[in-house]
Amino acid sequence: MVQKRTLWYISFVLLVGMIFPAGRQEATAQEHEQRSGISNSWLLMQAVPSVSWTSFPEQTRFAFEWEATPVLYSWGMTKLVRPLHFFFVTQPERFAGSVEFNISTQLYTSPVGISHWGFSGQLLAHVPLVEYGEYGGMNLGVARYNIAGISSNYIIGGFSTLFGFLHYNIKYSPADKIWMHSIEFRFF
Amino acid sequence: MNTKNVFLRFTVFSLIALHSSLFTAGCSSFFTRFIANSFENLPNSPDTVAVKIVHPVFQNIGLSVLWVGHATCLIQIGDKVFLTDPIFTETAGMISKRRIEPGILATSIDKLDYILISHIHFDHLNYGSLSMLPKSAAMLLPGGGAEYTPDFGFSEYREMNPWTTFEADGVRITAVPVRHFNGRYGFDGAWLNYTSFTGYIIEYNGKTVFFAGDTGYDPEKFKEIGKKFAIDVAFIPIAPIEPHDFMKRVHADPEEALQIFRDVRAKIMIPIHHRTFVQGLDPSLTFAQDQLKRLVIERQLEDRVLILKIGEQRILVP
Repeated sequence: MVQKRTLWYISFVLLVGMIFPAGRQEATAQEHEQRSGISNSWLLMQAVPSVSWTSFPEQTRFAFEWEATPVLYSWGMTKLVRPLHFFFVTQPERFAGSVEFNISTQLYTSPVGISHWGFSGQLLAHVPLVEYGEYGGMNLGVARYNIAGISSNYIIGGFSTLFGFLHYNIKYSPADKIWMHSIEFRFF
Repeated sequence: MNTKNVFLRFTVFSLIALHSSLFTAGCSSFFTRFIANSFENLPNSPDTVAVKIVHPVFQNIGLSVLWVGHATCLIQIGDKVFLTDPIFTETAGMISKRRIEPGILATSIDKLDYILISHIHFDHLNYGSLSMLPKSAAMLLPGGGAEYTPDFGFSEYREMNPWTTFEADGVRITAVPVRHFNGRYGFDGAWLNYTSFTGYIIEYNGKTVFFAGDTGYDPEKFKEIGKKFAIDVAFIPIAPIEPHDFMKRVHADPEEALQIFRDVRAKIMIPIHHRTFVQGLDPSLTFAQDQLKRLVIERQLEDRVLILKIGEQRILVP
């Protein structure tokens, strides 16, 4: 029960940070429309899967994972750029400081129970550490995974490097004692 | 083996093949050799600049220029100070190592009015360098550049599409078209729907300066610029050169740089974008500069083409 409360508390803090970020200047008339966006080449890059290893109490499984970002709030950019982004996010908009809600699908190469599939919703904050996050940043967040029909809550900690393309995250479910290590490729 | 297993194995095999092919595609000859060259240089310390000007900014001056290195130029006209494509860090984009120190320390620039960014490549929009500069400056970016620009705390940010003009306090800065390529990370150029590279014309106190940024040769664009402005000084890139067939689409070589100089009808040319970082597959650091020197002597342009040393400052109009 305490662990669940902790997870809800972290989620609440992240959501508050997303809605009321400190020091955010109001957008002005200079703000412009997002002019880069979803295209065939972008879609092709999204097809490149991330990889993860999940250690369940009795077995370890390898999975490919695809992420999508329905919404991201960026607080690290200038007032020329709108803070909210839907699906398409430039690397700096993510690594210079952001909170995102992302969803993912996992394909396990060996079955977990009776299924190869897992799904998740994640609330993830990106905190810039080196060169505004372009060289290095920290990831913190919470996730809810449904793997083979069983749902668990996870806390997430990790880092990003290589211009925000490469993320290494550790996810842990305190209730179910499941560890997940993921190497994630995030392309815009 | 049932159908489900066959499908699964096929899927896994395809994913591994996709990863491998993307990796292999990235390892084309030029790219691999450039990365290898860059890695080779990573452990080396940059050469030192013997004398660094400590106070490069004057109270008031007609026109002075200081080449910090690469495309970084400190330009002062009257009481206004401009800095182009600032890069003071030891690397650009994590692996491209500086071969020679910046000509001045960033902290020596105690007054700065405008930062001009020509495009969003690592060696021109350099986050670490921008964080070192006085926050009173206004930062001008190419169209779409804002999506790649964290907030450094500068007083103002402005995107400049070709032929748009920014005016403030008697200063006129016009973005002018050049020939280069989009994106910051390579493949992102494929989905950027705008031209995220530009040159700039600075006009103040009756002086006109052209900063070409990073460009290939395009006669129509440069002749048009030459018709519209009476340019006193033109900063024109001369490298990288090799591999020539690949580079010439987006980078002017010394011969083409001189052609740009003729097309824009400037009085003085100052070559930039050379001698500072590993440049393409150029065989030596001075490869482009040596070619330019030969051409300048052949064409008797010594008094109009000023090949500055890194850190050298010239007062063109007292």
